[in-house]
This record gives sequence, structure tokens and C-alpha cells, in this order.
Amino acid sequence: MDDEPDVDVIVVGGGPAGACAALVAARAGLSTVLLERGPFPGSKNMYGGVVYPRILDRLIPNWWETAPIQRWVTRRSTMVLTDTQALTVDYRTEAWGKPPYNGATAYRPDFDHWLAGHAEAAGAQLVCDTTAVGLLRGASGRIVGVRTDRPGGDLRARVVIACDGVNSFLAKEAGLFEHTDAKHYTLGVKETLALPKEVIDERFGVRGREGVDIEMIGCTSGVNGGGFLYTNLDSVAVGVVLKLPKLAAQQLRPEEIIARMKRHPAIAPLIEGADLKEYSAHLIPEAGLAMMPKMTTDGMLVAGDAAALCLAAGIWLEGVNFAMASGMYAGEAVVEAVRNGDVGVEGLAGYQRRLSETFVLKDHRRLRRAPEIVLSDRVQHLYPAMVAGIAERMFQVDNPAPKPRLRTILKQERKRVGIRRRDLARDGLDGLRTFG
Amino acid sequence: MIAACVKWVAGVPEPGDERFAGISAADQAAVELALRHGASMGDDVVVVTAGPPAAERALREALAAGATRAVRVDLPADATSSDVATALAGVVGDAAFVWCGDYSTDRGSGSVPAFLAAERSARQALGAVAVDLADGATISVTRRLDGGRREVSTVSAPAVVSVEGAVARLRRAGLAGVLAARTAPIEVRRPAVVVPDVAAIVHAYRPRARTLPPPHGSTLDRLRELTDAAAAPAHGETVHLDPADAADRILTALRAWSYLT
Repeated sequence: MDDEPDVDVIVVGGGPAGACAALVAARAGLSTVLLERGPFPGSKNMYGGVVYPRILDRLIPNWWETAPIQRWVTRRSTMVLTDTQALTVDYRTEAWGKPPYNGATAYRPDFDHWLAGHAEAAGAQLVCDTTAVGLLRGASGRIVGVRTDRPGGDLRARVVIACDGVNSFLAKEAGLFEHTDAKHYTLGVKETLALPKEVIDERFGVRGREGVDIEMIGCTSGVNGGGFLYTNLDSVAVGVVLKLPKLAAQQLRPEEIIARMKRHPAIAPLIEGADLKEYSAHLIPEAGLAMMPKMTTDGMLVAGDAAALCLAAGIWLEGVNFAMASGMYAGEAVVEAVRNGDVGVEGLAGYQRRLSETFVLKDHRRLRRAPEIVLSDRVQHLYPAMVAGIAERMFQVDNPAPKPRLRTILKQERKRVGIRRRDLARDGLDGLRTFG
Repeated sequence: MIAACVKWVAGVPEPGDERFAGISAADQAAVELALRHGASMGDDVVVVTAGPPAAERALREALAAGATRAVRVDLPADATSSDVATALAGVVGDAAFVWCGDYSTDRGSGSVPAFLAAERSARQALGAVAVDLADGATISVTRRLDGGRREVSTVSAPAVVSVEGAVARLRRAGLAGVLAARTAPIEVRRPAVVVPDVAAIVHAYRPRARTLPPPHGSTLDRLRELTDAAAAPAHGETVHLDPADAADRILTALRAWSYLT
């Protein structure tokens, strides 16, 4: 078999991970092909979220001047909902609305297209409408390229960087995932609702390019998960993230769960009169460290969602930044490996080292129990009712009865909802250990 | 030489957005037929477009699919059909057959192939719904007629044929072709014709302004003049009669004026 490579690096997938990997490799002078299955990078992506592009400081100076973002998130709200109640913790700051900024809402067909454009400008060859359908292996079993769905579609390279997203067929084919389990995934379901910019500005109390990020718990019709609402310039993204086994067990349609959330008295006035523009759904690798594959094998690395690098830790919901960072580190490791002439597991070890030394794995290690805690039954179904109940009792004026003591309310509400004191204490301690 | 002419349109519905730019399905069918025709004749296939530099993407797609060479005539996107045809004729002058799509993704009038045939004094078969390349030297083209009928014409070189999108589907380019096409040379020609400034020739009809005298008299008078309010009432009449006669007279007058019947 002819193992002579056509190019130095093949990056599979033109999303944030792939674009950053290709950008780094191409800048270092490696011949790089970036494969994208859609007609352009971003065309296949489904997303309703906040991008935190801080890591781009290292790749694209002053990225905020050209990045196609929708709104800079200057307001972050966390809502605890029951069927009739809502308790919101709302934070806003002017600092996130000016350079160097913090997070932004974005349309991924714009953002990914822009980011991949930087990779192309650096010299990467972007090949669209092309799906990598399998891996090519050399005589030693080492991965030496990919097979695409084009005629004569075999392409050989020294290294393959798989950034082919959640449920990565390449990572699975390479044997990097020991096992995959539906319980490690959630289903993100989103509606994009059009509203005039002025209406969004008024309803959400923002101006110009300021935007709002609302995360919700207790709004998913008994299926473990969470809800979200993000403001774009003239649309809002409303959706839910649902734990797969629970969704299957409940026999509920995801669109019905969104519809119920949209009818909630705290949500309905925000989106009243909006036009539904888009409905989409996508898997999210939410289990963090528990589901991560091996990151490298001989001749291949895996980055982004394909490597399950998505942080779903309740108050921190991040994916694109982990994708960009892992793609960047994959690119750096590949450059190093190609220069040293060793693209085996040992030669590519720089990737794992970079991930371990930075937030990519440090955050995941520290918050490894967070996804489990956040999606646990008590946090999902009992605590929202207790917290909302406490708030209601605290702020309700029951004259002539005197105000109850906070301790009394807590105890009564805990009993009303049916949480044992032991469980409350243990969850509190768990939470403190993980988040504290 | 076999030629294919395509029109690159910069973004429908978002003008200028390369993600939505491209050529029509009819143009893609034309490229495919040109490739098949070239292969059957063992002849070169040249793909031509008239447009700005961004239009070269369409040419690279055709090169990836197997076209021998590509030429872009540097014309602004809003050049008229006849100017485009003149410019294209300068490139495809000696081609045996020229394949075109019969509509573009923007205006879609399909007029360029007709102009091109006229320019080259070539045969034309426009709006083909089916094509049989037969031996390649003489091809058979099916066109629509009224009442669901079809006309089958035999066409020999030199000819311009325009096809609908359903006639053929552009083949999927091989990976090697796609990679090679990225850096393949594209010949750029400045049009021999001087492209007239369309905006200078075509403009909206605007009658010349007339000078009117300033208004005279008071506003009230002019209003009366316009409305006849000041003129003596046509039916006015003063008579002195007995009450009974006066009543008859009034009734007669009202009938005469059609207020009563």
C-alpha cells in the first residue's frame, strides 16, 4: 500500500475546532486540507448559545473587531421555574459590552464561516461538500488519511485531526471511544423566533449590541435538563436541553416541551408575537470527563465535540471555546510532531499535555461531577419547587400573622417538597466540593 | 473545441454573500453536457463566464469536474445580455458547440444564448428539455411546443444550445480535481468591446419642467374660479306671484331641474 502522504494534515470538520486546528497548522507552514461536509463552514451547525472567544486572543488579535457576532452578552440570568413561579438571579455589567468583551451570541453559519476564512487565509485548503466517510490505515495499522465521499476520494496525510462533531464516526472508527452510552448525551432542541430589534431591546432592557443570556431549570416538563433563551440582534433562540434516556422514558416530544416552556408566565411575555423561523435539534456530549475518548492514536487526534469537550456544568455551559482551544492545541501538537518526524501516539503527546495544563481539561477535572449533579433528579425536580416556595413565603405578607423565621420556612418548604434533611446536606456538600 | 458558458450570480437572496453565490442548475447542466460532449468527441472543453473576479469560483468548480480550461471575461455583474454575448463570442469564437443554461439565478431571461448565436452566426437550439449527443458531430435536441408536444431538432456545428436544469446533473468532482482546481490558472480577458455605460443610456422618463406664471388675485377668488362658486346660479330667477301660482311655479321648476319626477 502506498503510504506517501498527499498533504501534511487533514482536518475533518470546518467548525470552531477544525478551523482553529487548520489555522494553526497552516500558519506553521504545513500543507493542510480542511474538509467540510456542508456547502460552507457553519452551514450544518445547529446552535443557540453563547460563544466565549477569549482563547482567540492568541490566534486572531482584536478578533472582536471582525467577528460576526449578534450581541455581546452583558446580562446573565439564571431562572428557577415551577409551573407558576419563577425566581431569577440576574447579573449585568457594562464591562462585557466593550473590548476585550466576554461572551457573545452568534449565528454559527456566520461565525464558523468567518473563522474558517482565517484558516483559508493562512493557507489551509478548504474543501466543502465533502464528507469523510472512513479512515485509511497503513500497513502498521497507523491512520494515514481519510476516505471521502467524492470520486477518487482517498486523501493521505501525515496526521488526521478529527473535528467531526458530536457522535464522531472517525473517533469511533479509530477505537478512541471505549464505549458510548446514550445517558452521556443530551438533546438540544431550539426554536429561533424573530422579533424586531426594538422589541427585543425593550423587553430585555438592553441597547445597541447588548444581549441577554437566560438559563433555566425546572422548565422541562419533568425530563431532566434545562432551558435557555438567548437574544440575537433581531431574533431570540429559545430551547431546551434534554437528557436522552429520560426523554425516551417520558414519551414526550421535544417540541411539546418547548411549547410548554414558551407558555410559562415568566417566558411568554418575552416572546409574545414572535415569528417562528427555525426549529432544529442536535446531540450534545454533556457528560464531560465521564465520556471522553482517548485524545490521540497513531496518526490521529480528536478535538472539539468529537472529543466530548463540552462543559455542561449548570452555571457554566460552554462548548465553542473548548472546541477552539482543543483545535488550537491539536494544531500545535501536530506541528511539533511533524517537525520532529514522529506522528505516533508518543509524538502527538503534546496534545494531551496541552489539554491537561490548560482550562480544557482542568475545568473538566474540577467540575467532573457537575453534569451529574445538575441533571440529578433532586436538583431537577425537587429543589426548584423548594427554592421558589421559600422565595414566595419570604416575600409574601401574611398580616396579621407575623413574618415567619427563615429557618422555619426552609424547614417547612423542605418537608412540603419531600426532601430529606440528610439528602439536602449531602447535595449541599457535593455542590460545595464541585463548585466551591 | 466544446464550450460551456455560465453566469455566476453574487448571492441570492443575500447580495454579495459568497455563501449564497453560484450558478443555476441550468448552467450546471450545460457544464455537464459540455463535459460529456467533449469526452465523446475527444475534444477540449472550455468553460467561460463573464463577471467579476469572484465568479472564478464557478469556473474552478467546472475545472474540478473536468473542464480543460477556464476563461473569465472581466465584465461588471450588470452588463447587458448583448454585451455579455459579444464578450463571450470573443472567447468561444471557434467552438463547434456552445452549451448554455437557459436561465440564471437572478434575471433568468435566457437571452444571452440567443444573442451569442446571432453574434457568431451559429445555429441555435434554445430551451432544450432533452438532449441526445448521438455521434457528437450532429446532436438531437428536444424542445417544448404548445399542448405538451415536443419538437426534435437535429443540430450540427456551429451551434449554441441552451438547456433546462433537469436535462443533466453536474457530476460530482473527484477529490484530486477539487484540490487541483484551487490553484489552476484561469485566463482573464478584458472585453474587446467597449461596454457602454448602461446607466447613461437607460434612464427613467422625466418630462421637462414648465414655467408657470405666478398665481393672481386672492386665494378666495381663485377658489371660486376653480369651483364656479362665484358664477351666477344658472337656474336663478326672481318672480313675483300669488302664493298658489308661486307654489305651482316652484314645482314646475323643480321638475324641470330634475329634482322632482
